Amino acid sequence: MIDSELKLLQEIEDLKSQFNSTIDGLTKDLKRNYKTISRSDKTQRREFLKLLELNKELEDTQKEVIFTMGSIGESRSKETGNHVKRVAQYSKILALHYGLEEDEAEMLKQASPMHDIGKVAVPDSILNKPARFTPEEFKEMQKHAELGYDMLKHSERFLLKMAAIVAYEHHEKWDGTGYPRGLKEEEIHIYGRITALADVFDALGSDRVYKKAWSNEKIYQLFKEERGKHFDPKLVDIFFENLDQFLEVQKTFKD
Amino acid sequence: MENLNIEQTKFTPSIVFDIQKCLLEIKGDSLPENTTEFYKPLMESLLQFLQTPQNNITVNLELTYFNSSSSKFLYDFFDLFVEKNNGTDVVINWFYDEEDENMEEAGEDFQEDFEDLKFNVLVK
Repeated sequence: MIDSELKLLQEIEDLKSQFNSTIDGLTKDLKRNYKTISRSDKTQRREFLKLLELNKELEDTQKEVIFTMGSIGESRSKETGNHVKRVAQYSKILALHYGLEEDEAEMLKQASPMHDIGKVAVPDSILNKPARFTPEEFKEMQKHAELGYDMLKHSERFLLKMAAIVAYEHHEKWDGTGYPRGLKEEEIHIYGRITALADVFDALGSDRVYKKAWSNEKIYQLFKEERGKHFDPKLVDIFFENLDQFLEVQKTFKD
Repeated sequence: MENLNIEQTKFTPSIVFDIQKCLLEIKGDSLPENTTEFYKPLMESLLQFLQTPQNNITVNLELTYFNSSSSKFLYDFFDLFVEKNNGTDVVINWFYDEEDENMEEAGEDFQEDFEDLKFNVLVK
């Protein structure tokens, strides 16, 4: 071989080894990248599951706390735990048919049982009186709406803000004759209007210390009369149009 | 050569490099905004340290979380001990919490990739 060929051969050998080491380097990098990505995918999946779990834990805790608070309010006035459950379900049905989104309706279902939380601050002697209230006692009893609002209004949580509205406005009436502020029509928040109907429907249908349970027929009669007086007419219409759903809840959660 | 002492933050681990004791410890979570920038002082100190032949070093790693770019850093970091070794006796201890599968598997992966290093994967 002549020198030039030997030189060329050497150059080719050099190129070959450079090429090989570059390929080796690239292969190593690619393998490492692949490993890094696979591992990070796996980690992300685990973290994601953990987050879901924590989120559920958080939501469950919130639901439980709120439900318990509602039950405390009810138990002070010797009402049954199922009252809270039924009012919750009725409120959601009304909310959905009224046009609220599923999320908001679900939240109202959770918040509405707190409507009577203010009763924890009303004396037993009044709460459990098995007879008609004197005007002074009635005034004292009425305070539970504002008391409940005061308890909840400071919260930054949407659900508790919602519950504050419900507590404050669930005794307002469509025609402006309710309490504590005498708001009328759409001045009353939809959450308040919904809970008012749900609460009254259930309260009338249950035994209380001061009265026996009404029959559904008697309640329907009252609702027809109170359409546009005590209650938002649109909600009364929704109630009658979807009566089967309300009766189903009444059956499922009977005392 | 000066010791290195970087405090832990929410997104970055603590780094303690004690030159006299030949001990380097990295502890915590590693999700720096700029990973290369964050580990630059460590890589520079280490390179300098490894230039002294016949040295030895123990590296204790107690990472609890690291992102993808930190994974790239770790490869470069371990590469340094292989490629710029200069006869230094290197022991790497990868500690993980017993319940932390992520860090256990990561440690085993690195152990497998760097079979030329004395790489121990240990429960804390």
